Amino acid sequence: MSEERRDDAEAPEAERAFTSLPPAPRPRIPPVTTAKAPESTRRGLVASVGASTVQIAQEVGGIVVLTAQVLRALVPPRIDHRELLKNLYKMGNRSVPIVVLTAFFAGGLMTLQTGPFVKKFGATGLAGWGAGYAVLREIGPILISLMFSGRVGANNTAELATMTVTEQLDGLRALAIDPVRFLVVPRVIAMMVMLVALTVIGDLVALLGASVVGRIMLGIEWSSMYYSFADNLKPFDFLHGIYKSIAFGAAIAMSSCYFGVTVRGGAVGVGRAVNAAVVAAAVSIMLLDFFLTYLTG
Amino acid sequence: MSASAASPIRFERVEKRYGRHEVLAGVSLDLAPRMRLGLIGPAASGKSVMCKLACGLEAPDRGRIEVLGTDITGKREHELGALRRRIGMLFQNYALFDFLTVEQNVAFPLEQRGGPSGDKLTAAQIAERVAERLRAVGLAGSERKLTAELSGGMKKRVGIARATVIDAELVIYDEPSAGLDPVTTQKIYDLLAADQARTGAAVLAVSSDVVALAQFVDEIAFLYRGHIIYRGPAATIADAPDPIVRQFVRGELTGPMDDLPPQREGA
Amino acid sequence: MKAWISSVGASAIAYASAAGDLWRVYVGTIAGIVRSFSREHRRNRPRGELARQLHNVGNRSLVFIVVTLGFIGMVMTYQGCLQLGRVTGDYSQVGQQFLRLLVSDFGPTLTALMLATRVGAGIAAEIGSMKVTEQIDALRMSGVLPIDYLIVPRFLACLVMTLLLTVVGGTVMYVAGGLTAHYSFGVNLNTFYDISQVRPRHLVMMVVKAVSYGAAIPVVAGFCGLRARGSSEGVGWATTAAVIGSSFAVIVLDFIISAGALFLTGGDL
Repeated sequence: MSEERRDDAEAPEAERAFTSLPPAPRPRIPPVTTAKAPESTRRGLVASVGASTVQIAQEVGGIVVLTAQVLRALVPPRIDHRELLKNLYKMGNRSVPIVVLTAFFAGGLMTLQTGPFVKKFGATGLAGWGAGYAVLREIGPILISLMFSGRVGANNTAELATMTVTEQLDGLRALAIDPVRFLVVPRVIAMMVMLVALTVIGDLVALLGASVVGRIMLGIEWSSMYYSFADNLKPFDFLHGIYKSIAFGAAIAMSSCYFGVTVRGGAVGVGRAVNAAVVAAAVSIMLLDFFLTYLTG
Repeated sequence: MSASAASPIRFERVEKRYGRHEVLAGVSLDLAPRMRLGLIGPAASGKSVMCKLACGLEAPDRGRIEVLGTDITGKREHELGALRRRIGMLFQNYALFDFLTVEQNVAFPLEQRGGPSGDKLTAAQIAERVAERLRAVGLAGSERKLTAELSGGMKKRVGIARATVIDAELVIYDEPSAGLDPVTTQKIYDLLAADQARTGAAVLAVSSDVVALAQFVDEIAFLYRGHIIYRGPAATIADAPDPIVRQFVRGELTGPMDDLPPQREGA
Repeated sequence: MKAWISSVGASAIAYASAAGDLWRVYVGTIAGIVRSFSREHRRNRPRGELARQLHNVGNRSLVFIVVTLGFIGMVMTYQGCLQLGRVTGDYSQVGQQFLRLLVSDFGPTLTALMLATRVGAGIAAEIGSMKVTEQIDALRMSGVLPIDYLIVPRFLACLVMTLLLTVVGGTVMYVAGGLTAHYSFGVNLNTFYDISQVRPRHLVMMVVKAVSYGAAIPVVAGFCGLRARGSSEGVGWATTAAVIGSSFAVIVLDFIISAGALFLTGGDL
């Protein structure tokens, strides 16, 4: 209905032409042109840099505001338990296969990178040391978080975005239910908990992958790989990865929820929101990784 | 032309199912040249599926489909291109290209098809034809708009302009009047009728709005639970001998079709 | 137990048929590239589309790639120096080994992982929303093959741009890493930026990896987009699947190519 009203309001000249069909004056039409150049090439460089800066600032601000709302909703911690359990199960369960596979390959890759040294110098002790450090401190948490963001974060954005474009959030508000408290808070908690859990699992699988690839591709004995891990890795290396994953989980959760609830414009909008959420998550993972590494060594 | 002698659309015992849901259970349908056939039926009865089957956009599970004298059953995608360029189609949800402007949308089939002998049309020829079509549907002045800026009724008219721009031998309209007010509906149908009289194309029109449709088409077929259960002249559809059809057309609440199947979106 | 077996069987069949579809999209893309050289098909291609896709994949990912790879380059040298400092305290090898790893693995792989996130999701979102709004069907009604029209230009653009962005991203990583090593651990910049260890085979490896990733991302993402069903939810699913699918493709390809190279060169890499 509203669309028809818009029709009349916006295009009276079209309506008039329509009623006076078939005879109509013959306007001069320029030839059909090809599709327009992308917007940013038509704008000046300065203008487009400025525009994207404003947009990024807007998004960062939006995420900060949403984070504040989530924290506020936690002050008397009234969390919808069913929603929380549902999300914990769904997010953890769904992402285990991809995280395990990724971690296995990542561990294997790290051993492969030490391959030249092992082959050249016979330094089998080096393989476990290099692969173990890389996996526990950097590659493990980062790759697992990126995969988690692709699987769970993107999925969560898609779900929230669909709810938003189908006006289900407005429906909740009409029932006097705060969508942040009801929908966002359980998802944020579930994502943070599950990413930590998956990082623990993933780290172990990655070390297993490193050992398997070391055995098959480089001929390193299981036991020497094990001692190489045991001698060189300290509990702090493991913890270093774990507390990074807490921060990554928060970043993934906030960006995925933010782009989910602020989406506009139907199916196209949902796709764009998911895209924006994974990009924002990837950037924040890299930034957080840098600062956490510097702060804690 | 040889194609005009053959039947524009012929369905022979066509079956189609999606998962466990049987949409078409052996539908047979034959369209005479230059005929305007209306297809009606309850929601989710498979009307849109029949439109897509008729252009080869979906493949039937069983049965045979002939379009413009060509058997399209089992044909591969790239073999169907030449045939599809002879068919005009209005999609239920317009399916306008959102990366193109209004005039580029209407020009698209012409650019892809070229002239009648397959040669490329000049930009001026295309522009002239597009302008003529847009005037016919009352959208002169909106050429440069992106489709996202249009209202539902305007989108539908762009879709009609695009479906008729190539003087197709067969035109398929999927819900030409859904979501439009009665006056616009009437205008749309007048436009479709004038166009069909000019080109002599065969028309398959799908609609749930029986009253408006009946004034446009020659015959109406009723699709119910996977079968065409009735086919007859459009003028007397309200007095059809079949009680189900009568109930549907008259909009009576009680009757033989009480137990409607669960409605499914987009079918 | 029986239900479990049948559900595993059902998903195995679903995966197998999806793999078949993916393969068909890939073959269709290659065929589409071949077709696009013929005069007959040339007019069917949208004019300027390739340039637009190059811009979309390349220019619009540039800032993203520079920022993410710059930071990860800093982190990697930092961690590497930290570990070396604990064990030997000799930083003279850091730059050479970092560059070797960067060229033969981290450069192309991390660039591609980031592109899988940005470009893969973008392609799937675009094509997926065209699918659910029937625009793909409308293309087909004009006798246009959706793969030729939509995936081929994105495929070519990704192929070129993954390679170029690998070079850019790798350079940024290298520079950022060197500065970190210099300012945090006092490594001499001349010692760090020593490129004598890089051999042609490392560069070959970089090109092979970048091209493989560049070919995989658009095909996987386009395939996910073309499989979208339903409405907005379907687009969301398609985009999610594209991110996961193309990232995982990158990791698996990395593993296969690295293992293959190690095998071929006998460990002398």
